[in-house]
Amino acid sequence: MTAQQGEQRPGAAAAGPRTLAEELRSRPDTALTALLRSRPDLLNPVPGDLTQLAARLSSRASALRALERLDRFTLQTAEALAALPDGSPLTAVRNLLSGPARVKPHPGATPLGPADRAAVAEALPGALATLRERALLWGPDTALHLVIAAREALAPSAANPGRTGLGPTLAEATVGMSPARLQQLLASAGLPPTPDPVTAVAALAALLADRKRCAALLDQAPEASLRLLDRLVWGPPNGTVPDATRPVTAEDARSPVEWLIARGLLLPSSPGSVVLPRELALHLRGGRSHRSVEPVPPAALAGPAVRDPQAVDSAAAGQAHTAVTTVEELLDLWGLQPPATLRAGGVGVRDLKRAAQALDSSEPVTAFWLELAYGAGLLAPNGEADERWAPTPAFDTWLQQPTADRWALLARTWLAGTRVAALTGTPDGKGKARAALGPELDRTLAPTVRRAALTALAGLPPGSTATAEGLLPAMRWHRPLRGGPATAEGRDLRDELTDWTLTEAEQLGVTGRGALSSQARALLEGRDAAAVLAPLLPRPLDHVILQPDLTAIAPGPLLTPLAQALALCADVESKGGATVYRFTTESVRRALDAGRSAADLHAFLEQHSRTPVPQPLSYLVDDVARRHGVLRVGAASSYLRCDDPALLAEVLADRRSADLRLRLLAPTVLAAQAGPEALLTALRGMGYAPAAESAEGDVLISRPGSHRTPPRTAPTPVPDGPPVPDDALLGAAVKAVRAGDRAATAVRRETVTGPAATPHQNGPARTDTRQLPRSQAADTLAALQTAVLLGERMWIGYINAEGLASQRVIDPVKVEGGFVTAFDHHSDELRTFALHRITGVAELDDNA
Amino acid sequence: MNDGPLIVQSDKTLLLEIDHPKAADCRRVIAPFAELERAPEHVHTYRVTPLGLWNARAAGHDAEQVVDALVNYSRYPVPHALLVDIADTMARYGRLKLSKHPTHGLVLTTTDRPVLEEVLRSKKIIPLVGARVDPDTVVVHPSERGQIKQVLLKLGWPAEDFAGYVDGEAHPIELEQDGWTLRPYQQQAVEGFWHGGSGVVVLPCGAGKTLVGAAAMAEAKSTTLILVTNTVSARQWKHELVKRTTLTEDEIGEYSGTRKEIRPVTIATYQVMTTKRKGTYAHLELFDARNWGLVVYDEVHLLPAPVFKFTADLQARRRLGLTATLVREDGREGDVFSLIGPKRFDAPWKEIEAQGYIAPADCCEVRVTLTDSERLSYATAEPEERYRFCATTATKRRVVEALVKKHEKDQTLIIGQYIDQLDELGEVLDAPVIKGETSNAQREKLFEAFRTKEISVLVVSKVANFSIDLPEATVAIQVSGTFGSRQEEAQRLGRVLRPKADGHSAHFYSVVARDTVDQDFAAHRQRFLAEQGYAYRIIDADDVL
Repeated sequence: MTAQQGEQRPGAAAAGPRTLAEELRSRPDTALTALLRSRPDLLNPVPGDLTQLAARLSSRASALRALERLDRFTLQTAEALAALPDGSPLTAVRNLLSGPARVKPHPGATPLGPADRAAVAEALPGALATLRERALLWGPDTALHLVIAAREALAPSAANPGRTGLGPTLAEATVGMSPARLQQLLASAGLPPTPDPVTAVAALAALLADRKRCAALLDQAPEASLRLLDRLVWGPPNGTVPDATRPVTAEDARSPVEWLIARGLLLPSSPGSVVLPRELALHLRGGRSHRSVEPVPPAALAGPAVRDPQAVDSAAAGQAHTAVTTVEELLDLWGLQPPATLRAGGVGVRDLKRAAQALDSSEPVTAFWLELAYGAGLLAPNGEADERWAPTPAFDTWLQQPTADRWALLARTWLAGTRVAALTGTPDGKGKARAALGPELDRTLAPTVRRAALTALAGLPPGSTATAEGLLPAMRWHRPLRGGPATAEGRDLRDELTDWTLTEAEQLGVTGRGALSSQARALLEGRDAAAVLAPLLPRPLDHVILQPDLTAIAPGPLLTPLAQALALCADVESKGGATVYRFTTESVRRALDAGRSAADLHAFLEQHSRTPVPQPLSYLVDDVARRHGVLRVGAASSYLRCDDPALLAEVLADRRSADLRLRLLAPTVLAAQAGPEALLTALRGMGYAPAAESAEGDVLISRPGSHRTPPRTAPTPVPDGPPVPDDALLGAAVKAVRAGDRAATAVRRETVTGPAATPHQNGPARTDTRQLPRSQAADTLAALQTAVLLGERMWIGYINAEGLASQRVIDPVKVEGGFVTAFDHHSDELRTFALHRITGVAELDDNA
Repeated sequence: MNDGPLIVQSDKTLLLEIDHPKAADCRRVIAPFAELERAPEHVHTYRVTPLGLWNARAAGHDAEQVVDALVNYSRYPVPHALLVDIADTMARYGRLKLSKHPTHGLVLTTTDRPVLEEVLRSKKIIPLVGARVDPDTVVVHPSERGQIKQVLLKLGWPAEDFAGYVDGEAHPIELEQDGWTLRPYQQQAVEGFWHGGSGVVVLPCGAGKTLVGAAAMAEAKSTTLILVTNTVSARQWKHELVKRTTLTEDEIGEYSGTRKEIRPVTIATYQVMTTKRKGTYAHLELFDARNWGLVVYDEVHLLPAPVFKFTADLQARRRLGLTATLVREDGREGDVFSLIGPKRFDAPWKEIEAQGYIAPADCCEVRVTLTDSERLSYATAEPEERYRFCATTATKRRVVEALVKKHEKDQTLIIGQYIDQLDELGEVLDAPVIKGETSNAQREKLFEAFRTKEISVLVVSKVANFSIDLPEATVAIQVSGTFGSRQEEAQRLGRVLRPKADGHSAHFYSVVARDTVDQDFAAHRQRFLAEQGYAYRIIDADDVL
């Protein structure tokens, strides 16, 4: 794309390449290698040819990635290029960065000093070379082309002034302005009218670019207008005004803003805002694109304290040793009691707290060790259904290595790792605390920042200490665009990471007393750090100091077998450079339980103590040993007891008793692995007459087995017919039958006439008892009211709430509110019937 | 890695290998800021605490010296975090100062404004202070001088007290050094105290604390109030003062349960000071009875809580604390620091012993085995009765008899907790028994008889634990105690550690019932003694019998 556009570009010098692709083609292989090394994203996939590579290079994503990795001056150079027209020569860039030489600047502008100018001039070719190497720039020094994507990203505009703080050019800012208005501007600025808009813009631009004429114009400006310009000059170049598009002229300009707007010194960028055109801003700035141009990186600032490099190395080595032992201790602990993995990943707060307690350390520090072990592949979730964190087989391999190698693995892991332990416990996007070893602790920026911070530290003289504040300016210069998201306090992720890096480096023994150690320098340079560290580590000892207060002090790290043996028979009381062990009754018993004898322990203490074994300690060992194992516990299924030892001896000697696995516990007691039943049977079989004994020692009277069920109720008999009903039931039944019968067989006189009348109009409906009486609702009501008045008995059809139809004989008492209250002969009680559920009524035959 | 004698542990303890050639130098530089915690034979343990660091600051040491000491003598690199922590902690001392302002009276000033802002925001400070004079100064109610120091210490910003002292009513006191002189360490202790204004002198029992008190009085030359633990101790003080100073019997008053004398030098007991009548402390007026120029607290580690309260109101008077240990079983070391003052002098027992001022002691635990029937009764005894049962077992009697017989030429003390047991022992050994009901007159008579070797065996209950002076006891046999209290142990050991005329070593026996709680308590004792650097042996009763 760029290539094609490049071909159309007329400005390219005839001798130079006409397109980026063409230029790439002319580069040697080494340059292309360098390009691909600095922009590895281009390799994926490998481009087919140079045109394709050029197109890929010019894509926005790739170009932005490349820009992010520029240092501040190179970036400033690129920004200056973007503020210049395409194809500008090197001198233009230099002038823009340092201000044109030998030109009297605008009174308010602060020109760059000669030293700075020289520095810019010196650094510029390097910066351009970097841009070329990364293929962000092409063309010879006489005609420099920034690739389009980079130009688009960096070119100042009204909406996005960028780090230069410049606005759009006059031409860009006047796009869409009416020709009449342009002529007005010309007139107001004191220029002659021009035939068309293009020349009008050119004339205005020429005025602003001409230092003398521009200065003359500004001399006429009211003080307030100049102050306004001063506020916009270093950006942002935008100002808010009530009505930016009002076509004011020099004559009717009333306010300082309008004075500027009338002459095109401020141009409307939207109805409510104005922008300072780039040409004027540059004039006011003395021609400079950046307020502070930084051609050389700021030096990392060393702290006041300078340590003896040797002390630094040994302090770091001490801490390295601590780091290795701490990780070992932590993983040993988790090997025994692996904590559960949270559903979202990581470990719970409680497990972290417990681990911190065990290490006698704080939770953040413990989280750091955990992340380190995880990152180094020494710790991982075990992948089972009930998932837990446990040491990996690599941990066992790691344990076999020398301390220095073990440290080197941890340090390499840390330097290259993206896990950031310090984020543990901070709130995530949803406000929940991030779990240690959890999924949200990776930060891609971390390894870059760690390396950058340590490199900055390495740049200081040996033994120098530095704070994050001292290192950050240099780090920011090297990667101005890679700071990560900023926090509420205005610190970006890089600031935080730098702080953490220094803390963690101290924890890990990368730095010692705040200064970089030699082993860490080796690590940074890719040399064998373990070899540098090894001689600095304390040599493991083979002896301890035994004291009469029952402590053993290991005045340094112990050989592993000795440390393990000592940990078995004594408790660790304090750790650090030395280890203090305390012998207690419990700890000695533990050793005896583990199979050591008192003599072993005496010999062990004798052998490893540099001082005579104190008498109280020997006494303690003997005293515990004296009581150890006096009480014996074992399992047996039954016992055999007899007051006559001879008889028991006989049983024991009998070959037939072998299956019972008898053992003589005391002269009068045998223990058997067989159960009591089997024992009894076998003994009887051998011709003895044993008796069973209860738990209390009573003889159990043995009887043939007589079983009982739990309490049970007797079964109910199954009769061949229903039970004989009692009188009350019978009476009720008869009554019910009677009532039903009365209803069914009543000789009814139909009160109802008309179309709804039953088909049996000509006679009483005695043949079909299922036939419900039917009558009009009004007739029903009237009939019932009459019945109440006359005290007559009525026959009704009724549909109950469940929809069941029935016939009833009732003595209505009253009719009210849609209900009939009546004595129901069927249920033999007074009840109410809803009128709307009554299908019809019939009078009963008087004779019935 | 250098070859220093010191190892710094992660829990802020320091291990000092004392056989190391540089050990003595190292001890000297770490002693000002680290508290000696354990001093067994080969490796001593010191602990670095904020109080210790502030004590060091009060004595004029700065963080750099402390860090240098650690770095120079440490065998392994000292963790940087620890050094930073030490520097931070020490920097907290002295940010706040109490001083006298010419117009505003007592004021709290700061060199670090945010600190003042922080403490003034504390609810506990608000009632103690008055108007803000300027951004760095606030008025403190004069009556709250002690309170505010206590509270500030708890907040972690201990204040330095420059408010000075009232001179008090002058009274001539001189030491009468005829035939004796102050020992060098006593001299140092007095100088340390006087230079610091107020504070605590830590000396082992038998190292002559009373003389330090007397010398301090001679320095102050003013009326003095001396607070002691009990009446016997009060008499002892009086006796000693009359003997060692120009003070006469009439100038020294005793203010106790029986006598209420107020004289230029008044010795009061803690007990009478803390006696309450109708809910109020009845004898508080003693503190105001005279314009005291010096208040001496004997056995500071036993100072009862109410006395702290009174002391808070006495901040304008010079205060001298005397003690064998700064360890308080109630953990109120901070109150001692803020109310009486920082530690001004301290010497480990062993060193003074090495200088020959206290007798070396041979500590020995004799384990007796209970008889089978005793074991059975012990197993079935009620939990609260168990200790008493095993501590007073009859088997011990035979061992005590044998020990007394073994040392029949020596002055022997038998110390116990249970009166029945003591009475029985007294009967068997035909020795007098001193217990709570023994009158003071009778006690002094018996002590005198013991001193003059009229009697060689004395059975004492815990009433004799404190401040009695039995110079010629060379053997102590402990048959029962109060559940392994470390303080008690220090006191009992003190009984036999007084300098011996003939210079031969003292013996300290503990008779302990094997496999019982008695033995568990003995384990505490053993640890304490071994940590104090005493040789400790355990033998079986059969070896004695």
